[in-house]
This record gives sequence, structure tokens and C-alpha cells, in this order.
Amino acid sequence: MRRYETIFIANPDLPEEDQNALQEKVRSLVASFKGEIVKLEDWGLRKLSYAIRKSSRGRYFLVDYLADSPALVRELERTLRLHDGVLKFLTVKTNPEVTKDQVQELKAASQAEKAPRVDERPSAPEPVPAPPEAEKPAAGGEEK
Amino acid sequence: MKPPVKRKRTFQRRKVCVFCADSAMKIDYKDVKTLNHFVTERGKILPRRISGNCARHQRDITQAIKKARNIALLAFSVVAS
Repeated sequence: MRRYETIFIANPDLPEEDQNALQEKVRSLVASFKGEIVKLEDWGLRKLSYAIRKSSRGRYFLVDYLADSPALVRELERTLRLHDGVLKFLTVKTNPEVTKDQVQELKAASQAEKAPRVDERPSAPEPVPAPPEAEKPAAGGEEK
Repeated sequence: MKPPVKRKRTFQRRKVCVFCADSAMKIDYKDVKTLNHFVTERGKILPRRISGNCARHQRDITQAIKKARNIALLAFSVVAS
């Protein structure tokens, strides 16, 4: 199995239920290809470093998953491309060869995570780091 | 007699690659905070002679920055204001 990671940016104007529907879609898609989701993170609203489709902010989602074949990635990317609410996405292969043991381990970990979690989102990083050497303009990290 | 040789003295401290020095540091395209150390305020990638990275880590950093740019975590260019 291979491990992939897909980040996609959803349009922040999309209503909440559509955001959830999008996540659900990703989940079911991965399941239908016999893949395994390791984690699906919602990073929340972030400022984009440059405007995409005239939107200066976007809602980031990170999907970390295992797949047997590249067909899943192809299908996932196709779905995201066709979805109007998705501004952009990026898929990265993080591990080209996940062994059976590791698969079990990851499965266990994701199961354990699934149970107590009530959709808490990771707090937005970087509360203005204040670099001493030069004033760095908003090159990416800040929230809001 | 010592000849007054005037040589241009450039003070150069040998920089050590921060990622080699600290193996706990991982290069990740999602880690904007770290990547920000390796771009200018204009958004350009810092050259190796400035960042002091070794070849491997400079390459990894470059790849990571380019990925981060693609997904709008970093800017391709920051326009001067």
C-alpha cells in the first residue's frame, strides 16, 4: 500500500453542510476504493498567500490516507477538480511502500483516534512570531 | 621586512546546516513557520550560501517551499508595498 496526503482548499463561502458533505464524500470515496483514512484534518479558515479564484482565504483540509492503487488518487483528484467549492488541491505521496504491519498499526491508531474525537480542529498556528531581523510581511501563516 | 600585503579580509564563519545539526528537525511543506526562515521577505528562496544548508537539505527545502507555494501556504512573490 501507499500512503498519500492530499490537501484541498474549500471555498470559505461554502455553507457548513456542504463542507461536511465534501468531507463525507472524501471519506466514502476512499472507502469505496478499499483505502484507509489515517486522518482527516480540518485546519479551518486560513489566509491564502495569494488569491485563488478571487478568494483571499480558504478552508484547508488535510487527508492522510492509504491506497492500494493510484486509481484512488486519480478518482479523488478528479472529484475535487469537478467540485465547484474546491479552490485548489495538492496530493503528495508520503510513503511509497507501507508494509502490512504498518497498515495494521495505522489502522489501530486511526480507530483509536476516531472514538474520542468530536471534530476538534487543530488550533491555527503562528500567533505572530515577531522575527527580529526584518519585518516579514504576511507570507503565509497568520490566521484571519 | 614584512610587505604590507593588503588582502581583502572577508569574515566567513563556516555555517553548518541546521538540519544536519539537529536531526530532530524535519522538513515538511506544511510547516510554514520553518520554511519562512528560508525565504526572503520577497518570497524568494534563500540561496545556500546564505542559509548555510547542505546540498541535500537545501534541495529538500526547495522542494518543500515549492509545494507550499502550490497550495498557497507560501507566496510565489510578495509585492513590495
